[in-house]
Amino acid sequence: MALVGLAVTFVGFLLAVGSVGISASNTVRLVIVLVGIAVSLGGILGLINPAYQKNAVWKR
Amino acid sequence: MMKKILLALTIACSLGPGLAWAQTPAPAAGSSIADDVKNAPTPKAEDRAAGDPAGTLTGTAADIPMADSKAGLTIQDVVTLVGQHQIAINFVWTLVTGFLVMFMQAGFAIVETGLARAKNANHTMMMNFMVYGVGMLGYWLIGFAIQEGGVGAIANLGGTAPLATGSEYAIHLMGKDWGLFGTKGIMLSGATYDVGVMVLFLFQMVFMDTALTIVTGTAAERWKYSAFLVSSFIMGAFTYPLFGNWAWGGGWLATLGSNYGLGHGYSDFAGSGVVHSIGGVTALAMAMIIGPRIGKFRRDGTPNAIPGHDIVLVLLGCFILAFGWFGFNPGSTLGAAANGNLRISSVAVNTMLAGMTGSFGAMFYMWIRYGKPDASMTGNGFLAGLVAITAPSGFVDPMASVIIGLIAGVLCCLSCEFVERVLKLDDVVGAISVHGTNGLFGVIAVGLFADGRSNYGGSWNGVPGSVTGLFYGDAGQLVAQLIGVATLLGFVFSLSFVINMILEAVMGHRVSAKVELEGLDMPEMGALGYPEFALKPETVLSE
Repeated sequence: MALVGLAVTFVGFLLAVGSVGISASNTVRLVIVLVGIAVSLGGILGLINPAYQKNAVWKR
Repeated sequence: MMKKILLALTIACSLGPGLAWAQTPAPAAGSSIADDVKNAPTPKAEDRAAGDPAGTLTGTAADIPMADSKAGLTIQDVVTLVGQHQIAINFVWTLVTGFLVMFMQAGFAIVETGLARAKNANHTMMMNFMVYGVGMLGYWLIGFAIQEGGVGAIANLGGTAPLATGSEYAIHLMGKDWGLFGTKGIMLSGATYDVGVMVLFLFQMVFMDTALTIVTGTAAERWKYSAFLVSSFIMGAFTYPLFGNWAWGGGWLATLGSNYGLGHGYSDFAGSGVVHSIGGVTALAMAMIIGPRIGKFRRDGTPNAIPGHDIVLVLLGCFILAFGWFGFNPGSTLGAAANGNLRISSVAVNTMLAGMTGSFGAMFYMWIRYGKPDASMTGNGFLAGLVAITAPSGFVDPMASVIIGLIAGVLCCLSCEFVERVLKLDDVVGAISVHGTNGLFGVIAVGLFADGRSNYGGSWNGVPGSVTGLFYGDAGQLVAQLIGVATLLGFVFSLSFVINMILEAVMGHRVSAKVELEGLDMPEMGALGYPEFALKPETVLSE
């Protein structure tokens, strides 16, 4: 699951960077970049961290 | 004739007190400037021999080096000296501010050691001590070349010509060139054996080391020393320089303005993103991989407070860091003379104001929420304000600095609670929140608060005009800043995570439970930090 989270995190980055080629409108770019940031945060906080928390030392 | 008079006035102004003392009149019509320069008054030898308590005889035309003593003082001699003076001022400014930033390592060392337990004092201090050397080694070997090896001409440092010859490796994407990394300056060899490049290396090196030492704070009290050395080396050699190139080395983030019309491209004056966020997101990755200290969380997941052993060290360290920050931010002009560099005063004041309001924000948050003005969190709020103003310090006014610092202080506390209670991560010093969260906030703050009134030689990142945020009418700047945030979260975090995940598989990051409970000083370092103290085996307090 951590690797899936890693992939999702990286996709968020690609989405944000790709915004400059997708549209010339700053408003559209802004929305796409914000979505990209949300995707990356989802990958880090929603997938990678829970994957590591499953075997946390305090649960043993 | 008017040109001659203007030239004479310019030279007189450049020489300053020397000619003011002589009260030399402007050249009369028909007189030769060359003759005036040659006949510039100099103090008599007997007057100099009698001493100069007022300082009016020292620093005159007599002190200007002449290319040909037989020909006497010429205009060329004077003009050469003016150029030397400007670059010398910038060199001295950048070097001295770099020395201040280097001293921040001492601040980080005692903040982190003070927030760790006494049984890990030697280990924590040694990590902070050797991160300086191991980071510098990686940066000298390859890191500087990756980051600055294609930066182009830096006028403030005399042109840095060896780095200005198209040595940035770029790919062509979406109709534009995207700079990825520099290629010159490996081990400072070849043409980069250059006085201007040396100044740049020193200044950038101490910045890089600041980023590395952030991670040691988060992973303290359980990080295997050998793993720390390898991880820090890779970060200093590759991870930091790569993003550093994109933001400061002429890479693709810096050219988002000139290539795609996004304001002035990603603009990070002194490194909220480049330095602090890189350290912060790497610390986040490390906190996940290495896991919390034994005793940090109960079986139901609620956190225990593990107090540090010396709050005096912590707050003293915060003061040392704040002192060093006067090098960090104002020094990032890379000069004090010409090209709008007199703004160093504004940058310095912005820095101190944001630190002040950051400490207030955190102190009052903790006082209201928990009934006491927590010392360590007040110190962290102070640092959070400084971190957040680092990127905007060169682009905003004092009122914005006060607001940015205040928000940062409160944000630091909220983030610490989120990291500990929701994410259940153990961050010994709060580095993820202080440097990561507030570093990202600082990057965004540029896109909001930049007032469009700074002028560093008339352009920034190759785009004419001044950096201007959303509140002053440029939404494109905010987009550029947010792309920087997305890169830090999506790329830098991922890269740091992969590197440290591989190290975890190859050599393991964490010491054994036995070593952790005993304390890392003796098993890892072979000596206790405080051999004459009787240490309690565990210092864990319930909240």
